[in-house]
Amino acid sequence: MAEINKKSLKHLADLARLELNEKEEEKFLADLDKILAYFQELQDLDTQNVQPMTGGTELKNIFREDGGTQSSLSPDLVVEAFPDKEKHWLKTPPVFE
Amino acid sequence: MNKAVSYLMHLHDLTIKKFHDGLTNKEFTALEVAEDYFKYIDERDKEIGAYLSLMKDEALKQAEHADLTVAQGKNVGLLAGVPLAIKDNILITGQPATAASKILENYKASYDATVITNLKQAGAVFLGKTNMDEFAMGSSTENSAFQKTKNPHDLERVPGGSSGGSAAAVASHMALAALGSDTGGSIRQPASFCGVVGLKPTYGAVSRHGLIAMASSLDQIGPLTKTVEDAAIIFQALAGRDRFDSTTAETQYGDELRNPKLEDIKNMTIGLPDEYFVSGVEPAVIKEVESAINALKSLGIKFKQIKLPHTRYALACYYIIMPAEVSSNLARFDGIRYGGATGVNRRSVGLLELYKKNRSRGFGAETKRRIILGTFVLSSGYYDAYYAQAQKVRRLIKNDFDQVFKDVDVILTPVAPTPAFKFGEKTSDPLSMYLSDIFTIPANMAGLPAISIPTNSPIQKLATSKTSLPVGFQLIGKPLHEADILGIGQYYEKIANSV
Repeated sequence: MAEINKKSLKHLADLARLELNEKEEEKFLADLDKILAYFQELQDLDTQNVQPMTGGTELKNIFREDGGTQSSLSPDLVVEAFPDKEKHWLKTPPVFE
Repeated sequence: MNKAVSYLMHLHDLTIKKFHDGLTNKEFTALEVAEDYFKYIDERDKEIGAYLSLMKDEALKQAEHADLTVAQGKNVGLLAGVPLAIKDNILITGQPATAASKILENYKASYDATVITNLKQAGAVFLGKTNMDEFAMGSSTENSAFQKTKNPHDLERVPGGSSGGSAAAVASHMALAALGSDTGGSIRQPASFCGVVGLKPTYGAVSRHGLIAMASSLDQIGPLTKTVEDAAIIFQALAGRDRFDSTTAETQYGDELRNPKLEDIKNMTIGLPDEYFVSGVEPAVIKEVESAINALKSLGIKFKQIKLPHTRYALACYYIIMPAEVSSNLARFDGIRYGGATGVNRRSVGLLELYKKNRSRGFGAETKRRIILGTFVLSSGYYDAYYAQAQKVRRLIKNDFDQVFKDVDVILTPVAPTPAFKFGEKTSDPLSMYLSDIFTIPANMAGLPAISIPTNSPIQKLATSKTSLPVGFQLIGKPLHEADILGIGQYYEKIANSV
């Protein structure tokens, strides 16, 4: 089965928007090795005619009236939770450089 | 008797029911009790470390409000004035909600979780927010970015996790009850380690709106309490359809939750799965669980050996599905929307760099490990072998339960293979830590209600049982049949208390 090497770990970290230092890389590679080996036993199970269970509930198609719902959110508090702001505007670093 | 001793004894003795009777009979006010709790927290939490933040001003106001309602002669509900501790991944407007992560260190919640709205309507008092494993990932609360929480029964041992702060707060009488969340055992395992009751409801019974999501198809909020009756009281207040969480079910829970009929209980059959009584379980745990079985037999309940053959795959299956959901749920923490980790200069870097810096500094090791693992099992080329296969195995695990529930009403198992372990014992090897959830994970995979009940658990003993570590047994019920496990639990407590 698959294994994760230094290069693919770097790629995964990139996808997940993480930077790992040398020590973390080493530790994670060893840990993931063990964990993936543990997953091996799942491969032995015959699941050919099994429907995947894709969520925690069998509920389907929950509808509501198409209209505004009263939100429990207070706009002021949402802006307040943002680290950088000006009046009611949210400030982020530049997207284009 | 000096005041310090008297308030302590009084906090030790309180249950929600006793509190309610005392409040309505005017033996004390909610304000007095809330003040006593804060006094005691002040003294005791230095040692335990259960709370991350306290809400004293708000709590005293909430308590005064409950007193006013009583004084006006109005009917008050069972939770009016009841002082609760809330796990720090559940939002209360204006309060911190760190999920014990540095990335949310500076965040304050902008809205109330639905469970908080429900409890506010019931008049409950919130004492503060409790410590946990970062983003609820862990089984010992050692993954908190901020502090250790100690097991009140033995300060060298962990309280379990991830709801370790909530369990320790209730066990050490720093809250009358608490809320936790359970994705793979995070309510039941700490309840077992700390000697309190912990209920994970059926998936969809309680709204997850306002719970910081870890694995959305598995997470449920539930109570940690001193008695099973208390768990029933809180569960009833939490349960119900919520328009902010489309996975909530239309449910009708009634009087049977708190007042189970002995006739109904006696006629139940409990299944004992072979796969849960295996050699890896400590003999002390087996002995305690057997004592609970014998107590229940004395009520006339029938027992039956059953088989849940896919149990052995549950842990591997869980450690694929859960990290997959974690990696996607935690993508929202970009260091921008909810504030960032302290020490990252927002102006000096571009957007992508800012994401990476915040996430790398803001997340702890276990969180990063699970994000990477989740990213891997979802990635192109590996999706079918891991994630899709795990979802199919999850179906097989659920089918096992559906099958045995044709023959039995409830399943009884140990909660964890061991009592509370020592600090540092499992931190270096993630797999050994993961194994402590082996008996709790299947109920999450199948979405079933499950409760951890301390064996031999007169609540008076909780205060004094210095000699042995608490152990819990687990009851797993049919979907939306919380009444069955709460009912058996309440009769078990009656027997255990009378010994």
